[in-house]
Amino acid sequence: MLTNCHGALGELREGVDLSLALAGNPNVGKSSLFNRLTGMGVVTANYPGKTVEVQLAETSFADRRIGIIDLPGTYELGGVTEDQWVARQALLDGSPDAVLLVVDATNLARNLYLGLQIMDLGLPMVLALNVVDQARARGIHVDPGRLEEILGSPVVPTVATRGLGLDRLMRRAVERATTPAALPPRLRYSVDVEAAIGKLELALAGRSDRPHRLSPRAAAILLLEGDAALLAWAGAAPGGENLLALRRDLTSTLRDLRGEEPALLLARERHGLAGLIAAEVERRERPRSAAAERLWRLTTAPASGLPLLGLVLAGIFAFLFVVGDWLSTACSALWAALASPPIQAAVHAVLGDGTLGRTLLWGVDTGVNAAMAVGIPYVLTFYLLLAVLEDSGYLNAVAFLTDQVMHKMGLHGRAAIPLVAGAGCNVPAIMGTRVLGSMRERIIASTLVVLTPCSARTAVILGAVSLTAGWRAALAVYGVTFALALVSGIGLHHVLPGRGSGLVMEMFPFRRPGALAILKKTWYRFREFVVVATPIVLGGSIVLGGLYETGLLWTLAAPLRPIFEGWLGLPAVAGLTLIVAVLRKELALQLLITLAMAQYGPQASNLLTFMRPDQIFVYALVNTLYVPCVATIAILGRELGWRRALAISAFTVVLALAAGGAARAVLTGIGG
Amino acid sequence: MAPDPPRFTDEMLEDCLQALHRLESEGRPADIAALAAFARISPGDVGLVLAELERRGLVANGQPERIALTPEGERLAAGVLRRHRLSERLFADLLGMPWDRVHDEAMRLEHALSPEAEARLARLLNHPATCPHGGPIPTADGPVPPGAAERLDRVPAGRRAWIHQIVQEEASLLRYLASLGLLPGAEIHVEEVAPLGGPLLVRLGGARYALGRDVAAKILVQEERARPDAPPPARGPAGWLRGWRRRRRGGCA
Repeated sequence: MLTNCHGALGELREGVDLSLALAGNPNVGKSSLFNRLTGMGVVTANYPGKTVEVQLAETSFADRRIGIIDLPGTYELGGVTEDQWVARQALLDGSPDAVLLVVDATNLARNLYLGLQIMDLGLPMVLALNVVDQARARGIHVDPGRLEEILGSPVVPTVATRGLGLDRLMRRAVERATTPAALPPRLRYSVDVEAAIGKLELALAGRSDRPHRLSPRAAAILLLEGDAALLAWAGAAPGGENLLALRRDLTSTLRDLRGEEPALLLARERHGLAGLIAAEVERRERPRSAAAERLWRLTTAPASGLPLLGLVLAGIFAFLFVVGDWLSTACSALWAALASPPIQAAVHAVLGDGTLGRTLLWGVDTGVNAAMAVGIPYVLTFYLLLAVLEDSGYLNAVAFLTDQVMHKMGLHGRAAIPLVAGAGCNVPAIMGTRVLGSMRERIIASTLVVLTPCSARTAVILGAVSLTAGWRAALAVYGVTFALALVSGIGLHHVLPGRGSGLVMEMFPFRRPGALAILKKTWYRFREFVVVATPIVLGGSIVLGGLYETGLLWTLAAPLRPIFEGWLGLPAVAGLTLIVAVLRKELALQLLITLAMAQYGPQASNLLTFMRPDQIFVYALVNTLYVPCVATIAILGRELGWRRALAISAFTVVLALAAGGAARAVLTGIGG
Repeated sequence: MAPDPPRFTDEMLEDCLQALHRLESEGRPADIAALAAFARISPGDVGLVLAELERRGLVANGQPERIALTPEGERLAAGVLRRHRLSERLFADLLGMPWDRVHDEAMRLEHALSPEAEARLARLLNHPATCPHGGPIPTADGPVPPGAAERLDRVPAGRRAWIHQIVQEEASLLRYLASLGLLPGAEIHVEEVAPLGGPLLVRLGGARYALGRDVAAKILVQEERARPDAPPPARGPAGWLRGWRRRRRGGCA
C-alpha cells in the first residue's frame, strides 16, 4: 500500500524501540540486506508528488523492536534528482538512531562519498562492507579495522545475498544506536572550506530553530552547499537574511580562492577524501579471474551486444507468450472448473436469474477471471523476468545499447525496459517508466507503452487477422503500429517543451541475483498491480454488464454509429465491441463473435461470414491503437495525473480513428 | 637580481606566477583580488610583484586585467605547479598527513625543491598524474598541454583523458556528475564508444559509467597523448603494469 511518507515515518518511530535508516549507492546489495533483515510486513511510502518510494519495515533483534527505513539508492543526498531528494528528506524526517550505510567493497572510494555526507549530517553510522566475496575474487582486500578507525564508525564485512555477517552488523548497529558513543573523529576539508564552514557554524550555533535539529556544523555545510530546503528556511527565519548574506560572502570568497562553487568544491573534496581513505584501507592484487569481466564487456560491445540483445528480447517475448499463455489458459480453466460454478450458484440462489444477478456475475465471475487471466500469467511472469534482468545487471547493457534509438524520441536507454514490459501488459510497464527522470520523459515513454500491443491485443490480432487474412496481414498490423509509435515518439519529442536529459548511468558487472530478493521484489510489484488494477476491472465489468444486460449499450452506442459504420466501414456489431473492449482488449473478439452469433445466427462464429478481410484488418488495427483499457487509463492517471492520462487516451483514440480510416481508404482502394 | 629587497621575495614571485597560471588555465580574469587571494600576498604588493615579473620577462603586460604569462613565464609557472602538486602527493601519500593540510605544507616546500630533488620525488611517487585534490600535475617538460580541450564525445575508445571543464549550462547535470566524481581534473578512460552516435562507456576509478553522446559533448577533456612520462597503458604489458600500479596508487579521483 502507498502511504504518505511523513505520516508513515512518524508511525514507525512510535511503534519501535529503535530505528535504523538503510542507505547506500544503487546496486550495492542494499535491497538484499533489507529483505534479509525484514519479513513480509513492508510498507511502501512516498512523498506527495514523488514517485520514488521509501520502504518501511519492522524487525526485532535482541528483544528490541527495530524499525528500518529503506532509503532509495543514491550516490549522494542532494536535491538534484528525485531519489536524492527523497533519500535526504526521509533521512532528516525519520531522524533514525543510526544509519546503516551499505557500501560496495569493490568500489569503496565512490561509495564512501555518501558516507562522508552522512557524517557531515552528524548522524551515527554503521558500515556494512558488502560483497566482500566479490571484492576478494577481484583481488581487493579491505581492512575493516583500519576503516573503522578512520571513520570512527563500526565497519562489518557482509555478504547480504547469503546473509553473512548480518548478525554482527545488527549487533553493532544496535550498540551504536543505544550507547552515546564518543563523537567520531571529524574528517576535515581543506582550510578554505573549513574556514567558511566554521564561520557559518558560529552564526548558526546560537539559533535553536535549526531545521530537523541539525547540528550547527551540519546546517552550515548544507547551507554552504546551497541546499534548497535550508536556503528556504534561512529566507523565512527571523534574522535569516544575515545568514544568507554571510553565505553569499563566503561563497564569493571561496569562488575567488578556488574557482568553484562551494557545492562543487565540497563534492571534489569529499571525493578526494574518500579516495584517500580507500587507498589507505585497500590492498589490491591482480584479480584472479577476469572471465566475468570479459563476458560483461561482450554484452556492451555493439558487435556482440546487439545480437545478444535481440536474443534476450526474443527470449522474453517467447517466455511471456508461451509460459504466459499456458498459465493464462490454466488459470481460466481452473476458474471455470472450480470457482465459477459455486459463484454462479450462489448468485443465482440469492438474486435469481434476473438482470441484477447476471450483471453481478459479469463482475464477480467474468471480471475476476479476466483479472486473473491477465494478472497472474502475464504480469507476474513479467515481473519475475524483470527482477532477474535487473538484479543480474543485464538491464544496464540493454539501456546502453538502445540509447541511440531512444534518443531520437527524447528518451534515453533506460526507457527500453518499460517498452519491453508493455508487450506483456501496459499497466506494469507504465509503472516501470518511473526509472526515467523527468515527467517529460515519462509522458513520451508512457505514450509509447500505450501504443505497444499487449498480450490481450496480440490475442485479437492473431485470432482475428491471422486466422482470416493471413499472417502477412497480422504482421502488417504490428508494422503499422510500430511505425506509428515511432513517429508519435519523435513527434512528441519535438512538440513537448523541454529536452531530453541524456544518459548518465553506472554500469555494473554481472552479479548472481539472490533468489529471495528477486521473489520479494516480484511480489511487491505484483501486489501493487493487483491493488490498482483489480478493482477497476471488477467495477468496469459490473458497469458494462449492467449496460449489456439492460440493453442500454445499444442505445448509448447509437450516436457513434456514423464513426464506426461511415468512417471505418465496419458492421455496427463490430463497432460496438470496439467500445466494450476498453474494459479488456481481448474481450473485443469474444464479444464480437457472441453478438454476431446472436444477430446473424450460428454461422457467424466465422468472422468472414459477415466481415471482409480488409474490415477485419481495420478492426484489429483500431483495437490495437486506441487506449488500451480502463486499467491502463487508471494507472496513467495515478502515475502522470488525470489531465495527462486523458490527453494520452484522447491522442490514441484520434490516432486509431485516423489510422483506421486511412487503412480502410487504402484497402478498399486496392480491393476495388 | 632583486633590487627592492624588502617588499617581496622569490617565494612571492613564484606564488604569483603559479596563481596566474591557474587563473589562465581556468579561463578566469587575473585581477588583483584573485591574484592576492590565490598567491596569499597582500593586494597592495600585487602591483609590485607584477612589475618585477614583467621586468624579468615572465609576464607580457603588467597591467591587471590584461596580464598574460610569456612562454618563459608559463614554463616557470608550470614548474612551480608541478613541485607544488608533487609535494602535496609526498605529504599525503608518503607522510600520511591529513588531506586538508597538504596544500599549506606544499606552499612552503614547492620553493625549496631543486630540479634533481623534484625528479627523484616524481620517481619515488611513481610519476603521479594528479595531486590529492585531483588537479593534473604538469610534466617535467612543461605545462599540461594547454587549451587543447576537446569534447569527450570526440575521444576515441581506448584513450585516457582528464576532465578539463564541464560546460556549465546545466547546474543540475554538473552536480550530478560531481556526485559521481566526474569533476574537472578527474582521470577517465574511454572504454567503449557505441557506433552511430550511441553512448560512451567510461571508467573512473573503480566505476564505469555510460554517458549519452549529448552528455559527453558537454564534458571538455584533455587527452593524454602529450604526456611523455606517462605512456598509454595499451603499449604492451610493461605499460599496462605501470598504468595499473598508478591506478593502484592514485586513490584520489
